[in-house]
Amino acid sequence: MTKLTFERPIIQRINAGLPSKYGMAHKLEPVSHIDGVSIKSLLESYGSPLVIISESTIRKTYKTAHRAFSSRYPKVQFAWSYKTNYLNAVCNVFHQEGAWAEVVSGFEYEKAIANGVPGDLIVFNGPDKSREDLSKAIKNGSLIHIDHFDELYEIISLSKESVLRPKVAIRVNMNTGIYPQWDRFGFNYENGEAWDALNRIMASKQLDLVGLHTHIGTYIMTTEAYKVAATKLADLAVRIEKKFGQALQYLDLGGGFASKNTLRGAYYPGTDTAPSFDDFAEAITSALMSSEIKPDHLPLLILETGRAMIDDAGYLAGTVIANKRLADGRRATIIDAGVNLLFTAFWYEHDIRPVEPVSEQSEDTTIYGPLCMNIDVIRGNIMFPLLKKGDHYVIRRVGAYNNTQWLQFINMRPNVVVLDGKGKPHLIRKAETLETINSQEITPDHLAKFDL
Amino acid sequence: MTRIKKNIAISDSGFVFDPGTGDSYSLNPTGLEIVQLIKSGKDFQQVLAEMSIKYEVDPESFERYYYDFTTTLKQLRLTESDGED
Repeated sequence: MTKLTFERPIIQRINAGLPSKYGMAHKLEPVSHIDGVSIKSLLESYGSPLVIISESTIRKTYKTAHRAFSSRYPKVQFAWSYKTNYLNAVCNVFHQEGAWAEVVSGFEYEKAIANGVPGDLIVFNGPDKSREDLSKAIKNGSLIHIDHFDELYEIISLSKESVLRPKVAIRVNMNTGIYPQWDRFGFNYENGEAWDALNRIMASKQLDLVGLHTHIGTYIMTTEAYKVAATKLADLAVRIEKKFGQALQYLDLGGGFASKNTLRGAYYPGTDTAPSFDDFAEAITSALMSSEIKPDHLPLLILETGRAMIDDAGYLAGTVIANKRLADGRRATIIDAGVNLLFTAFWYEHDIRPVEPVSEQSEDTTIYGPLCMNIDVIRGNIMFPLLKKGDHYVIRRVGAYNNTQWLQFINMRPNVVVLDGKGKPHLIRKAETLETINSQEITPDHLAKFDL
Repeated sequence: MTRIKKNIAISDSGFVFDPGTGDSYSLNPTGLEIVQLIKSGKDFQQVLAEMSIKYEVDPESFERYYYDFTTTLKQLRLTESDGED
């Protein structure tokens, strides 16, 4: 006689009375394949945990975003936000699609140059640009977005040493009706500082003012804020043209579009609440088209959205290490990827799924990473199927910020593979080893030996 | 040996009612079978023997799940307080 499959015994309290505010309990469907490739086979080939990036999802998302803007506005250019994910293979997918590079440090600038991006197609943002960085950017004709007056005076000083005219824009911060108002970057619109900076640039006669930039925040869920931002930038552009007779070449509306991830504590899932690219595009382009800018002087619209462009393409797959009971009887499942790999677990309720169909039953579970640190919580509270030690999981929408903010901490960072358009995996970043870490260390002779 | 409290009502479909607290619970099919075996006075070895005949499960895994399950029953106060192994 064939024996039946054994399922872990469980008992669950039935909560009568008030219904769950989230409605009926739903079953987490397994995700077994990415772009037609079995996650289990990828884990067998490349080890666990594993970061998997879908090239076709990146291209599809890029095309959707580009179409949303280019169908509404005549001149649109995307610049890939390196800090969101600067794995070279990922950057190059965006560059192949036509995106320029948007960088915020000398290191990222070098990375873009090394990837082959022409210097004049690099947007250089951020508060930290050294004199050397600026000098290089001027030489390459990059678009320098000035963050503060010290930087402005540094550029003016550099411009006196060379015949090259630096191409500059200023970053403008403003009240767009959202909280928190980001006022630490750039010059303020409302108090007149931005206008002062623009006048200072024009008065120097050494700098080419080519554009204006703003970046109002991150994970912005209202399109109205972008409408306000576009209107205020357009207003500055009109004032410059009126006073100096110069039409600006571009307006850079930055990024910050919400992705479909769900924020911790959010009432509804991000898939329901995040505005679409069309929504953002409609808000921004309608504000520009209806501004006072002359129709034949409409500037190029630059967008630097990172999060919404790459989040969906990234997956983190791995293996269950153990299950245990917490003091209050709840279940805890320990997986082999921690917050050092998944920095975004601090603010998202990540969509984690079993890879194999395992059980019809779910249990109130806390999912912990493998770190010996109390804060290593991937999901604090989730109705999760009963995965056993050795079963596999996959976390969706992890493409943004994790591959740049991840830490080598207690464990090594794992392999990263990209699945090409045909579903063929390519290793794009090797897992770290002890050698990777030790190769950066120097132990003085007197500390080289010890007797125990 | 684990003993289920005498006043706990358990239906054939896995519905559990504790008249002492008014709480109700649901058991999955294997949970129900194990509770019924415990209720009929069987100890761990006997439960293991019966379940191994019917299900594809190795003794080590079963032991882990069994004790995890009975610990939960104890935390939910569905077992006799003096009925511990």
